[in-house]
Amino acid sequence: MNNSLEQEDEMKFAATERYRAHLRKRHAAERRFKFYGRLAVATALLILATLLTSITYSSLPAFTHHNVLVDLEFTAEASAASGVYSAEELNDMNWSGLANKSLAKHFPDVESRRDRRAVASLLSMGAGDNIVEYVQSKSIRQGDVVELKLPVSDDFDLLVKGLIDRNLPESDRIVSDQKLAWIETLESEGRVSSQFAYALFQNGDSREPEMAGIKGAFVGTLWTMFITLLFSLPIGVMAAIYLQEIAPKNRLTDIVEVNINNLAAVPSIVFGLLGLAVFINFFHLPRSAPLVGGLVLALMTLPTIIIATRAALASVPPSIREAALGVGASRFQVIFHHVLPLALPGILTGTIIGLAQAAGETAPLLMIGMMAFIVDTPMDVTDKATVLPAQIYMWANNPERAFVARTSAGIVILLSFLITMNAAAIYLRKRYERRW
Amino acid sequence: MEEKPKITARDVNVFYGDNQALFGVGIDIPANNVTALIGPSGCGKSTFLRCINRMNDVIEGCSVRGNIHIDDANIYDAHLDVVELRARVGMVFQKPNPFPKSIYDNVAYGPRIHGQATSKADLDNIVEKSLRRAGLWEEVKDRLAAIGSGLSGGQQQRLCIARAIAVSPDVILMDEPCSALDPIATAIIEDLIEELRNKYTIVMVTHSMQQAARVSQKTAYFHLGKLVEFGNTSDIFTRPQFEQTEAYISGKIG
Repeated sequence: MNNSLEQEDEMKFAATERYRAHLRKRHAAERRFKFYGRLAVATALLILATLLTSITYSSLPAFTHHNVLVDLEFTAEASAASGVYSAEELNDMNWSGLANKSLAKHFPDVESRRDRRAVASLLSMGAGDNIVEYVQSKSIRQGDVVELKLPVSDDFDLLVKGLIDRNLPESDRIVSDQKLAWIETLESEGRVSSQFAYALFQNGDSREPEMAGIKGAFVGTLWTMFITLLFSLPIGVMAAIYLQEIAPKNRLTDIVEVNINNLAAVPSIVFGLLGLAVFINFFHLPRSAPLVGGLVLALMTLPTIIIATRAALASVPPSIREAALGVGASRFQVIFHHVLPLALPGILTGTIIGLAQAAGETAPLLMIGMMAFIVDTPMDVTDKATVLPAQIYMWANNPERAFVARTSAGIVILLSFLITMNAAAIYLRKRYERRW
Repeated sequence: MEEKPKITARDVNVFYGDNQALFGVGIDIPANNVTALIGPSGCGKSTFLRCINRMNDVIEGCSVRGNIHIDDANIYDAHLDVVELRARVGMVFQKPNPFPKSIYDNVAYGPRIHGQATSKADLDNIVEKSLRRAGLWEEVKDRLAAIGSGLSGGQQQRLCIARAIAVSPDVILMDEPCSALDPIATAIIEDLIEELRNKYTIVMVTHSMQQAARVSQKTAYFHLGKLVEFGNTSDIFTRPQFEQTEAYISGKIG
């Protein structure tokens, strides 16, 4: 034993077996650590990929919709008196009735009132609107027969897409045997065709899945974000500049600082309650309006922007401030000529991330009535509106099967919106980042 | 000391919170000379330098007591405008710190904020003159629009000197201006300082005894916040009056 120690002493320590064994262990530990790290990253990516794939996959049916080619027979009551339809005629005529009657003529077995109602349920409630759109600029004479593609109902659509199993017993199927037979007739005649679902992007909300669109909620989100940005950016940046650059460090500013950090951790629903109490009940601002929603989200985003801005200001090296002070710049000039431009990428990144967070928020909007069924697209910040995440939640609550795909499509659109915003943040950071 | 001193300090005490950094410093700094402030780390020489253009004002919890006069004007007078003072007393820092802007804008920034130039041609003139005086003009005249931080370390420091003299100060303070530079860049800056002394009063902090001996006419030795000895550089380095000074310059302490 003693001998071997002496021998080790003789040799260089790095050449001993003891040292090599230890070194091997160190390298092994490093490899293990690397492996665990890669495993963690891979797991995170896998989960993300699974989530995105499953949502995208289940949203796909919402992006197309089926039409059926119908021979419209313009009877006396569906023709314009003067040859061209007046606004009144376009408004008053029973276009859905025309569509339903024309479709019924394709099936010789339709006799009873019940049968006719069943035929009517094959077409979308919006089919009449398509006819109006078509006949508006046309002159159509009584007795004319026009071939027109009309949107089918949600059940018809799901059946053709294969989302309703045709082989189920009738009692378990939404679509009755009779309707199934009709649909199969139309298919065999080659009258059913698929089309991009423009309604998803052009319409507001609707009770009919095939007519429900995201436009109203999307525009509502844009208005809300506009108000949020308008209020949170200047207030947040100014507050951060004051706290970071001008305010003396004392007990009072410490308390302010701690509370700003606390504010960032306040549950978002509390901001909604505050908005309800202050903006709606006290200031009597309109309910369900992007104005109030934007203000509430601005309050929520403020701490994020203040914290990000302060971090960005603090990361500007003191040597730049000293250089500016050294040539006689005033405090104000130091901030606005040197510090703020250098901090701008960080401020913008923080702001966009804060806005993206606000854009995905539902809880505070719940309290101020923005979780509402609103068909019209808001035209300004005081119109009634809803936002994307609220729309997704409401669609998810609807019983119709077709809303499942609509909900996923809403999520895909919201995620694309947020990814675009985050990409903008990354781009701005890379573009304006300066080295010193 | 027949000539009237440019900067007169009397009984200057500086506190960082409860910590006293300078104790009763009094010194007469003559015009158109290079005065070197030497001493071990933490002796207060940089603190004293930063008192002369009141850069200590921006440090939280720092307070200065005593009097410093530049040409009879008390710079700690309550009515004195700090911005104006800093236009008269330029500063060059330890680490070259050009603004992340073009070479031209670096030099033009001071004159711009003080409203010195009346026209674009005027400003061009100031920039050229300052860069020439800093000995940088020939190297950068073709790339004035290039970013200042793209220059080499020595060039950056000369750019900072050009930036300081662009606002035509009387006094230039230099806080270890060569400590981040290689010997060749240092030699260039030292030659430049020698030239600049004809027009400006230069006060510089240095850690290099050889540098103090080479470029300065006056040397002040600081130790533990006190001014130990002040006199002609040649006297300080050959016949120091105090043992402490001798120990430091001969390398026994430091």
